[in-house]
Amino acid sequence: MNIDSIVKGIENGDHLSISRAISLVETNCVNDNVREIISRIYHLTGNAHVIGITGPPGIGKSTLIGRLSGMLHDSGKKVSILAIDASSPFSGGSFLGNRIRMQEALSSRGIFMRSLANRGISGGISRSAWDVVKILDAAGSDVVIVETVGAGQADLEVRNLVDTVIVVLGPGLGDEIQAVKAGIMEIGDIFIVNKIDREGAFLAIKDIEDTLAMSPGKKWHIPVLGLNSLNGEGYQDLLKVLDQRWDYISGDPGFKDGRLLMELRAIVQNTLLSRVEESFAGKNAFSRTISGLSDKTTDPYSAADRIIGKIYLKGD
Amino acid sequence: MSGKSHSFWEEKLKEYKRLLERENPEYGEWRSGTLSPWQKNKPASGNFENSSGISIKEVYNGSDLPDGYEKKYLGMPGEYPFTRGVYPDMYRGRKWTMRMFSGFGTPEDTNKRLKYLIKHGESGLSIAFDMPTLYGYDCDSQRAEGEVGKCGVNVTSLKDMEVIFKGIDLGSVSTSMTINAPAAVLTAMYIAVAKKQGVPMSKLSGTVQADILKEYIAQKEWIYPPEAHLRLIRDMMVYCTENIPRWNYISISGYHIREAGSSAAQELAFTLADGFYYIDLGIKAGLNVDDFAPRLSFFFNSSINFFEEIAKMRAARRIWATVLREKYGAKKPRTMLLRFHTQTSGYTLTWQQPLNNIIRTTIEAMAAVLGGTQSLHTNSYDEAWALPSEQAVKIALRTQQIIAEETGIPDTADPLGGSYYVEWLTTKLEEEAYRYFDQIEKMGGILEAVKKGYIQKEIASTSYRRQMRLESGEEVMVGVNRYQEKEDAPIDILRISQKAQERQVLRNSKVKSERNEKAVINSLNELEEAMRNEKLNTMPYILKAVENYATLEEISNVGRKVFGSWKEPVIV
Amino acid sequence: MSEERFSEAGKNLSLFKEKPAKVLLAKPGIDGHDRGILVLARAFRDAGMEVIYAGLLPTPEQVVDTAINEDVDVIALSLLNGAHMTVFKKVADLVKEKGITDISLVGGGTIPEQDKPALEKMGISGNYGPGTPMKTIIDHVMKRAAEARQKKMSGLH
Repeated sequence: MNIDSIVKGIENGDHLSISRAISLVETNCVNDNVREIISRIYHLTGNAHVIGITGPPGIGKSTLIGRLSGMLHDSGKKVSILAIDASSPFSGGSFLGNRIRMQEALSSRGIFMRSLANRGISGGISRSAWDVVKILDAAGSDVVIVETVGAGQADLEVRNLVDTVIVVLGPGLGDEIQAVKAGIMEIGDIFIVNKIDREGAFLAIKDIEDTLAMSPGKKWHIPVLGLNSLNGEGYQDLLKVLDQRWDYISGDPGFKDGRLLMELRAIVQNTLLSRVEESFAGKNAFSRTISGLSDKTTDPYSAADRIIGKIYLKGD
Repeated sequence: MSGKSHSFWEEKLKEYKRLLERENPEYGEWRSGTLSPWQKNKPASGNFENSSGISIKEVYNGSDLPDGYEKKYLGMPGEYPFTRGVYPDMYRGRKWTMRMFSGFGTPEDTNKRLKYLIKHGESGLSIAFDMPTLYGYDCDSQRAEGEVGKCGVNVTSLKDMEVIFKGIDLGSVSTSMTINAPAAVLTAMYIAVAKKQGVPMSKLSGTVQADILKEYIAQKEWIYPPEAHLRLIRDMMVYCTENIPRWNYISISGYHIREAGSSAAQELAFTLADGFYYIDLGIKAGLNVDDFAPRLSFFFNSSINFFEEIAKMRAARRIWATVLREKYGAKKPRTMLLRFHTQTSGYTLTWQQPLNNIIRTTIEAMAAVLGGTQSLHTNSYDEAWALPSEQAVKIALRTQQIIAEETGIPDTADPLGGSYYVEWLTTKLEEEAYRYFDQIEKMGGILEAVKKGYIQKEIASTSYRRQMRLESGEEVMVGVNRYQEKEDAPIDILRISQKAQERQVLRNSKVKSERNEKAVINSLNELEEAMRNEKLNTMPYILKAVENYATLEEISNVGRKVFGSWKEPVIV
Repeated sequence: MSEERFSEAGKNLSLFKEKPAKVLLAKPGIDGHDRGILVLARAFRDAGMEVIYAGLLPTPEQVVDTAINEDVDVIALSLLNGAHMTVFKKVADLVKEKGITDISLVGGGTIPEQDKPALEKMGISGNYGPGTPMKTIIDHVMKRAAEARQKKMSGLH
């Protein structure tokens, strides 16, 4: 499979091509393949509602996503899923485990889902997640769901990756809610209390609503929904809320500008950072400058300015 | 459970910690005075740890046992706490039942094998079912392709059960059926066959496994979510308590927990924790513990660490009796008896140098007898490969007969009772079990612990650790990681031909064309209503559907519709 | 300790420097005996591979679907219920049907010697039985992963 056929396949929504493209962009440093694929599909992006789903482990996110994506699919929407998994703390390997609970719902409908190992980046979303979302978007998805595991850095970062953040919490998590509130409460556009059949669910909803009420009003009114993934209770409401959210986003032409700027900044930052690492990596890096510094023929700031000029210009 | 029962496990754990924390001056003196000088130039090397991770000392003596141990914790056979056996005369009165698991291919094949075993002196029937049957699929289901008759006999409708027991009087045999998720359906089929033979329910004797908790823990053969299966088991418990006095409706199984890679201590703890859950279930259903607990029996694994296995079985008896009396208020001694079936370990069998398996099985069988088992299945030496051949099954049965009739092992009850080592190890394993009970309780009970994947993860970790020990040679398997040989030609293997599936499918379509379709639909609809109504007992409805020749999958699909399916949490 | 025993195998080869070998572990039949596959999952992970465990009871279709979506290098199949000749074949046929040539198939479980040639012919290699040293299995999986990765890379330009 070459890049031409991969790009063509993405346009046609072919799973093999999408999958291969993801493998190619799934790398920590940007290379020519990444640049080529993204530049050739970028004009196709921007049509998908990108939804992040986050929350503490064991809360039933996977089951929820299985059910939600099935319903979205059945209502005529094309859905793709990206699950971001934690890497093994012991070695480079990892288990990409969150497929199990949704596989049946996905396979029977031909929904594409990819797991992304969170390679080597502690707690954060790996660089490639941005590109993977673009590929899924370009492949004609109406909805791209991004699942992140657990609370932490990744949850906050997901804010910059998606249009809508759904925070999933459970009943009887009183203390946990208190603990995760600090970060997670600020990023949610929609809150879900899962396992609504369990004791304490309504208290949890109330608790979240109270907390939200304390922060000043935004244009988007943040809903708090109860769900039961076993019998589907509450899912119709969630679909409705997602439609409203999409209308809200579509009605605001500048909605994505902030994120585009963030992404651009991140790319520039990363590119420069890797150039810095590259240029300082050699054994005899900047030996002339170094001897200049020891001879006192220059000073560190002037020397750095000269080097920065070089790094910025390199490649242009 | 209440706050009172919560502290029960804590108290027990404390009690056992106290029992085991003992000064042992004689041992200390011996170590420094005799052992150390001896070992000066030749230190002992090797692995002195059992499967439960318990380190074994060089020797045990009387000070390792608590004061008053014999009176309070040991007793005599047939007396509380039954450490030394459930019957006063143990094997002098009656030998253990030699129950060989059989069942393969078509019902005709199994019928022939059962008759063969009866002819060779087997005293109880035991039937294994194939994967489609265990998962509630018919022989013609897409999921059944390639699996019909492979690991046991296929049962799609009542017709198949009629063939399996053709010419066998259900009033005069005792039958054990290894069936879990669809246990209620198979029990109903057995009742229906008996009715056709003119045998009343009151004369039926046997066991179904129906231990669904260990399915979620270890064997992973379920159809619905745990709560749904537990409800169906409750219905079966209530129905059988009222109608089939000699039917043991749950065989609480540690066997599979062990085969899934657990240690002996984990097998002991998780199996008994399951058992306590079923006790709670029966009590919640309004049954009196003295009425239904005697119908629960156990099924343990006998693995290769000889003394650990014996200690495990003795510990199980003592825990069960103690907890039933102290926690559940059982009045009748019969209620406190832990009676169990044992199967030798399949995990310890190797496909390398398969004849060695005969020796392994013999040692494991001896452990089971010394542990006081009520019935025993000995594995055939070719079982690491496939379903056993007739010759291999015969050797396995002869193994038991030799132990029973040549060795003198069964001549006296609990021959190892009073051995410092065995008694200490029995007590130590109990402590380990109480530690798990306490932990499980704190997690919200065994069902919660299973649903969270905690139990499964504990087992997977033990299993991985053992594998790594095998890889490194710390643990030895003869012929596998030591004393390897270039292998001989493969031994004869019984192979199930594809024909089994064809014949089953053929019979099934004949059954379907001959049955009263309207009656089938009606009984399935009624069953659905019963399943939706928590207050109704589903057993009579299942029986009716079975008698109308509704198939296993049709019946299971009613449940799938009502209860949904189940995906386990991520274990790895 | 044991965690490190196999480490590096999945990362060392230059083919896997950027991205570790990715393996899908699956029991594509109705067979709940998962002791072996759970041990393999951990051992593969500790050998530096990315492991996707397909859970219990996936259909062959689901297995191949997952393999495509995840773009794995190897599909590792295991069955202990004697249905390998039917079920493994289904997986191999589906892979062929979808036109996939750069994902390797390996098998394992209770597979009698006489079945192995036929499995090899379907492209399913290894077919190791119980008691096989972990290193043998890992080395084989890595070899087949390298083949797949090589094909993926060479097809690119």
